[in-house]
Amino acid sequence: MNVIQVEHIRKRFGNKDALSDVSFSIPKGEIFGFLGPSGAGKTTLIKILTAQINPTSGQASVFDQPAEMMHQSAQKMRFGILTDNSGLYERLTIEENLELYRQLYDLPRSSIDKVLQFVNLSGERKKKVSLLSKGMRQRVMLACAVIHEPELLFLDEPTSALDPVNSAHIYKGLRYLNQNGTTIFLTTHDMAEAELICNRVAILYQGQIQTIGSPKELKKQHRENVVCVELINGETCELPIDEGTADQIAAWMKRGLIDRLETKEPSLGDIFIKMTGSELL
Amino acid sequence: MSISLKRAGAIFVKDYKEFSRNYAVSIMLIFPIIFAFLLRGTGPSLVGAFGLVLNISFVILTSFAQACLIAEEKERNTLRSLMMTPATTMDVLIGKSSLVFVMSAVVLAIATYIYGYEPVGIWAFVAAIMFSIILYTAAGTICGLFSKTLLEASLSIIPVSIVFTGAPYAGMLLADDFPIFKVLEYAPNIQLVRLLNISNTASTTGDLLKPLLIILAWAVVLTIVSVVLYQRRLKDE
Repeated sequence: MNVIQVEHIRKRFGNKDALSDVSFSIPKGEIFGFLGPSGAGKTTLIKILTAQINPTSGQASVFDQPAEMMHQSAQKMRFGILTDNSGLYERLTIEENLELYRQLYDLPRSSIDKVLQFVNLSGERKKKVSLLSKGMRQRVMLACAVIHEPELLFLDEPTSALDPVNSAHIYKGLRYLNQNGTTIFLTTHDMAEAELICNRVAILYQGQIQTIGSPKELKKQHRENVVCVELINGETCELPIDEGTADQIAAWMKRGLIDRLETKEPSLGDIFIKMTGSELL
Repeated sequence: MSISLKRAGAIFVKDYKEFSRNYAVSIMLIFPIIFAFLLRGTGPSLVGAFGLVLNISFVILTSFAQACLIAEEKERNTLRSLMMTPATTMDVLIGKSSLVFVMSAVVLAIATYIYGYEPVGIWAFVAAIMFSIILYTAAGTICGLFSKTLLEASLSIIPVSIVFTGAPYAGMLLADDFPIFKVLEYAPNIQLVRLLNISNTASTTGDLLKPLLIILAWAVVLTIVSVVLYQRRLKDE
């Protein structure tokens, strides 16, 4: 069953296409990464899928309902969203912020304790939000987005500007949610992040999907057909993967001459550059 | 459109906590009381002065507080986060407006007591105050929606004070020379003063009903405009 289905979506702002003929689907239980540089159209797509804006043409459905229906309270109970411009109430404590969301989602009191444990902030619950670090704020915002244990979670650049420790906290939480059945739609320009947690990724550039697949598949597709060999005398060489190379490597191995042997696998960042001809910004 | 009183209540409680810790805005609560103290010496015969106290209070307390509550949520992106929860537009607007309504009602009741005004038609007076609070809350919502920051919201109530407080009084003075200004007679603040005056003399239900209905009409129109604008301003296109 597909949780998200997008068909030929186009969104035009003025005379510029923010999205152009975008199609893909996300099955239940997947962590799907939408990758691209700033301004590629990632946030626009999240806004379409959460009924904040309408597409110029094409169709999008979420939970088998047209995306425009996502403004209904019953649908909003089913998804959570964390965007780079989500906000918190600065004069309230972490607990008071979560209390608001608990009541809006009509949840039991225990949901606050549970979500605070999940984002590892149980000891900080009485702290005012205005006193929190950026990383802690991001974790509180994640807690607000997932307090109702949504079936689908939209994350727009969830770890942008976070240090590795805080990013690791967020990744751990996302994996936990996913293991418990939450489908995650993640946008990022951080290729390493996508590689680390996504089951499948789509690379978006200038409003169009350039490629789509699992990080493993994409790497395989774009792998250079060579093997790198480093000999014990420090000499390195790149050889084509064929029968002749296999014989050569076997001979070196018999003589104990090989120090390191690896296939040359591109990162998602390399694939992005190869497909778009531009660096990520 | 569905309304959940539970969700509106949650927003009310949240706003109460935020408001009570925001001294720059909550200090406005004392001004109507100060005005009532200062002007109470004018006595109940000067109903116009009491009308002015009420009208200024509606602007500097009701409209200002509502504009600040909305603008601050916009400035900090919390309004958009709120709109992504099951809370509907009406839940959010009712929750936010209820706090301003309760605060204004309580403060104006205290100010009325201090001033010593005793309305003859108590229910007409209470209804006029309630309709006016709704009207000025809607005006505050509109100001908040067009403001990006708290500072802008503070400035945005200046037009409200000009349109609903200053201009009608000035217009009424000029109405003899320029009959076109007679239209300002239908401004809500002029109608409120008229109603306050009526209640001090022998009056019929019809006399009371006319200003009440005019104020109600203003309240209904501005509330509808504020709800429509709220939905439009929060939809990116």
